[in-house]
Amino acid sequence: MPTETSRAAAGVIHDLGYRRYDGPRFGRSRIVAALAWHSFRSAFGLGRGAKAKIVPVIAFVALLLPAVVNAFAMSQGNARQVDYDTYVPALRDLIMLVFVAVQAPELVSRDLRSRVLPLYFSRPIKPVDYPLAKYLGFTGACLVMLEVPLLALYGGAIANVHGGSAVWAETKALIPGLLIGLLWAVTLAAVSLFLASMTGRRGFATGTVAIGFLLTYTLAEILLQVESPALGHSAGPPGSGAAPAVAVPLAEKVAGLFSPFTLLQGVRLWLGGTNPGDNVPKPGAFGAVYALVLIALVALSLYGLAARYRKARLS
Amino acid sequence: MNPSPPAERPGAVIEATALTKVYPGGVTALAGLTVAFAPGVTGLIGANGAGKSTLIKILLGLLEPTQGMAKVLGYDCVKDGMSIRQFVGYMPEHDCLPTDISATEFVTHMARMSGLPKTAARERAAEALRHVGLHEERYRQIGTYSTGMKQRVKLAQALAGDPRLLLLDEPTNGLDPAGRNAMLELVERIGAEFGIPIVVASHLLGEIERICDRLVAIEAGHLLRADTMDSFTRASQTLLIEVEEGTAALAQELARRGVRAQPYQRALLVPIVGERTYDVVRDSVAALGLPLSRLEQRRHQVEEIFRDDAQPGQYTQMEAADAY
Repeated sequence: MPTETSRAAAGVIHDLGYRRYDGPRFGRSRIVAALAWHSFRSAFGLGRGAKAKIVPVIAFVALLLPAVVNAFAMSQGNARQVDYDTYVPALRDLIMLVFVAVQAPELVSRDLRSRVLPLYFSRPIKPVDYPLAKYLGFTGACLVMLEVPLLALYGGAIANVHGGSAVWAETKALIPGLLIGLLWAVTLAAVSLFLASMTGRRGFATGTVAIGFLLTYTLAEILLQVESPALGHSAGPPGSGAAPAVAVPLAEKVAGLFSPFTLLQGVRLWLGGTNPGDNVPKPGAFGAVYALVLIALVALSLYGLAARYRKARLS
Repeated sequence: MNPSPPAERPGAVIEATALTKVYPGGVTALAGLTVAFAPGVTGLIGANGAGKSTLIKILLGLLEPTQGMAKVLGYDCVKDGMSIRQFVGYMPEHDCLPTDISATEFVTHMARMSGLPKTAARERAAEALRHVGLHEERYRQIGTYSTGMKQRVKLAQALAGDPRLLLLDEPTNGLDPAGRNAMLELVERIGAEFGIPIVVASHLLGEIERICDRLVAIEAGHLLRADTMDSFTRASQTLLIEVEEGTAALAQELARRGVRAQPYQRALLVPIVGERTYDVVRDSVAALGLPLSRLEQRRHQVEEIFRDDAQPGQYTQMEAADAY
């Protein structure tokens, strides 16, 4: 074949504007890190238009407000109004629900919709790296949403207390709060990304995430409410204060397993949290079940998310 | 990790040996395909379902062959998929672009996903977009682009990582004739001027044959034929003879003189073996005293060669695919 050699000679670079790249090429871990960072940014609408920033910015400011109000109240001589481990539960649950319902689809549904995944799969990463990077990025974003207000709360508090022991007391109270925040972030990111990855239609994905969280939460709350009066409880939050654990029947403890929100509350109480928070009863030794179910929920969500991308489809 | 790019290889960029892929459920996509792709522009021709997509997936290391092996740029497809994907640019057939970001941002991001550092990714994205002919519009959102511009963005993202091999799957998909020409010229230029080996998968043979140095035709997972365009065209010189009457008699006369003539529309086609062919045709026409109205030297369309390949029906599926 005479053309064989003539074509091989075309391997020589001609000076016609095309430049070869001989610089560094990163491997898998750096690419995953870059994709995680990219996902983290898109969770806040960074690198997108102004419209994409509306929800995350409003949500962030809303979560920050209690810390600001508290700092103001403390500067007027009041004691700390907001707890580190629960923050403002009613507000935080709702805001985080909105945040993940709107932003998780931003991370995964967009790519499904635009069918960009084959381009990722043709890159030097493994199929599992894509959901992994998305998860890391979104967990980071949830951490920012949950922990930055806590740190602001802490900052406002220590600015208004006097003496090393008072600062230490604040710090001691902050640390469990941060850990609970981490637990929240890990759980919310896993469940919401899994739910959002079911569909490429962003509206549907948001609906799926919102309904997934709301439905289970409502179910758990109803079960908790039903159990309470039937067994002669007061209508007030069970497990509050130093209420003896024997007063909490098993059925009521089980009811708390049905929603990520109540699960997290249960784990928090089990780990020694004292604030009542939601209607979740103090689980006592049953708290280990809460922890196990929570771990299982996160693991299953991540497994489901990975399974969604296991097959490297090119079309 | 900073793997050095594969050395420029004078030999084959892709070597498949007895490559077989049977999907669970018993569908055989590739049946013992053995073929080598040399540098230059190679057309990978096959109807939908001939095994092109399966071959590309295996070559990218995304699918394990049931049997056989394949090497891309010297890397084993099963073991070194990551290395292959580092140095191979892939342009999918279907739409694969987000609509709400600009081409610059998108191609930069995809270059980073190829492993390029941030600054290099940005530079190479800008260059790749310039090479494919997107200038000021590259700052606009992709959603506002025409189909032709979108195809260029798809090509640019494959080019940004400075690939040592480009796999283009139906690059002219969905384009109007002018757009097709522009895209084909671009592919030809990348192959010739940039010196990047290219495999262009297509079911439209007539379209890509003019930009290819070589053709590889597959059907039902088998190799139909692999050769250089030159050898195709050399073998395909024919003479078209049109007489106003007595076509059948002329064919008989030619056969008597040892030249096999094929009816083609209202005319006859004979293969040009040498100068002698012209003499035989002239003598036959003169002997019968027929009114000769046209004598034309022409080149077969490559698909006619496949059709003449003594295996009738083998190519008809592809032609059917050509229809859409």
